Amino acid sequence: MSRLLWIACACLAMMIISLTVGFRQIAPAVYFDVLNTYDPTDPAHVTLASIRLPRLAAGLIAGAALGVAGTVMQAITRNPLADPGILGVNAGAAFFLLLGTTILGRADEAIVATLAFPGAALASAAVFALGGGLRGDVGPVRLTLAGAALNALLLSLVTGIVLVRQDSLDVFRFWVAGSLTQATTRPLLEMAMVACAGGLLALAVAPQIEALSHGKEMSRGLGTRPGRVQAAALLIVTMTTGAAVAVAGPLAFLGLMVPPLARLLVGHRMRAELVAAALLGATILLGADTLGRLLLAPSEIRAGVMTALLGGPVFLWLARRIRPGATT
Amino acid sequence: MRAALLLPLLLLVATVTALMSGQASIGLPLLWEGLVTGEGPGALMLDTIRGPRVATAIGAGGVLGLSGFIFQTLFRNPLASPDILGFTPGAGLAIVAAITFHLNVPMPLVSAAGGIAAALLVALLAIRRGHETPPLTLILVGLGVGFFSSAFSTFVMTVLPHSEAAEAQRWLTGSLAARDWGHVAQVWWPGLLLVLLAIAQARNLAGLELGNDLASGLGLRTETVLWLLAVTGVLLAATGVAVAGPVPFVALMAGPLGIRITGARTHTSRMLAAAGTGALVLTLADLAARTALPGIVLPAGVMTGILGAPYLLWRLSREMEKGTL
Repeated sequence: MSRLLWIACACLAMMIISLTVGFRQIAPAVYFDVLNTYDPTDPAHVTLASIRLPRLAAGLIAGAALGVAGTVMQAITRNPLADPGILGVNAGAAFFLLLGTTILGRADEAIVATLAFPGAALASAAVFALGGGLRGDVGPVRLTLAGAALNALLLSLVTGIVLVRQDSLDVFRFWVAGSLTQATTRPLLEMAMVACAGGLLALAVAPQIEALSHGKEMSRGLGTRPGRVQAAALLIVTMTTGAAVAVAGPLAFLGLMVPPLARLLVGHRMRAELVAAALLGATILLGADTLGRLLLAPSEIRAGVMTALLGGPVFLWLARRIRPGATT
Repeated sequence: MRAALLLPLLLLVATVTALMSGQASIGLPLLWEGLVTGEGPGALMLDTIRGPRVATAIGAGGVLGLSGFIFQTLFRNPLASPDILGFTPGAGLAIVAAITFHLNVPMPLVSAAGGIAAALLVALLAIRRGHETPPLTLILVGLGVGFFSSAFSTFVMTVLPHSEAAEAQRWLTGSLAARDWGHVAQVWWPGLLLVLLAIAQARNLAGLELGNDLASGLGLRTETVLWLLAVTGVLLAATGVAVAGPVPFVALMAGPLGIRITGARTHTSRMLAAAGTGALVLTLADLAARTALPGIVLPAGVMTGILGAPYLLWRLSREMEKGTL
């Protein structure tokens, strides 16, 4: 329990750093002024309220959601390489979102953002089925390759749409990399609620997921119904990944590196793991975003690029350790 | 014999169709007149508008296809193509970096350096001394190196100014837009040389396929032979990437498809079949990308991605049924 407290402290510290670091220096007193008397003519106030706070919120939502999504995916598929980015779930959500933007125009961000959910649901169901999930043997190599194929297909379609529309490469650059810079235009409150609901559902079915992660036979013996748990897991992954993509775009590798780290810190207890993964996900994403803002200031490196640079080596390290042929 | 003629015939039809159709269509008679007399709209089409593009597609597709066949045979796994193993993304990254820093080095060299660096990284990370390296570990590590290279390319793209980013984006998708005879020379000369080099090693490849023990029993120095073949394969892939970008899935599909079309048995004829099929696939993909939507020219890589991903998934299901995955 005390470990969880430490992680929470780290997350809080990262939140404060993320708020204070940036191109514009802001005096500590101003933070309290914003809370008491918000002055829309003061540039420092505006920077805080309309740039840094939404950014912080988006980072918290996307980071925590992807941490939970990764943990659930890795447990249910028994695949240490499972990650919404690598398995194409992010790309599915992004594809539907972009399709919506293209067809509907960008009239209503909130309505368009809800398209991320059917996209994430279809992609995660597809990759699970294609990777051998229906027959109950999702080997890591299989699932990862199926994910890579799905990812390539969806990204080709995304590229196609963007190039046909011609209107902005910048939209594409944003959608491919994932970023917190457009947080102000995102439906933060709605997505926070969806992500929280997904997280709570994950906590509720955590024991069943844990049972299933020991294998189907074992879980039946423990009185769990694998079909139902898998359906719940699909729902959780859809809600969390959809919310994350809607606020921050397709961030890869975060869901990959957070779960092993969480397990290392709090041990094999699903509920504690989920809480730790949510906190760690938010901390790492905010850290990556802050670092990306500092490295090349005044321009910035997108958070998605930073998480990929951090997560790529983790992927390689894990890939080396997998014994092909084994299902765990 | 009839089967052996099918592929050249298909390639010829694809080439002529690719030359005829596009934003501005042109009839076969005009094209023929242009070819014979060197004058008129047909000549313009052959000389500047579509000729170099189609020739580049044939060359790049050919080298990518052969590269895929070499690795698939070398590692005895139909999934072990240079794009899955991370070599083409590595070559692509090197080229994007060269565009960014305005390096004045010939593109094939840059691309080759990137591809070889990626290959070395994969080998370094996957191979452990004294242990047999399972092809699947190689594939997973390769996928990781590929993911990492793509992420890095995206990073480079995000720091570029808008106009250069647009160029880099087309590049990374794999495109044949605005190619000239310089590109054709860049891919055809090194390409032909490497194809000959590969064919010279066909017997060694066949020997390695028997398994390491049997091969060394036959007097093959397996390690040297393997490295030579791998270097040839990486250079072939890099030559293709240098002019067309890391077009996805061409290398993956060409070998198995080529063997299916031609029914080739010996390794030399299989190599030729893979190269021919790669050329066919890329030419057709570029043709489809140019003509699928009226008024819009998509990069060829979008098409190979849309067509190739289902192929990879189908392949995956086949491998699963066989129980090799």
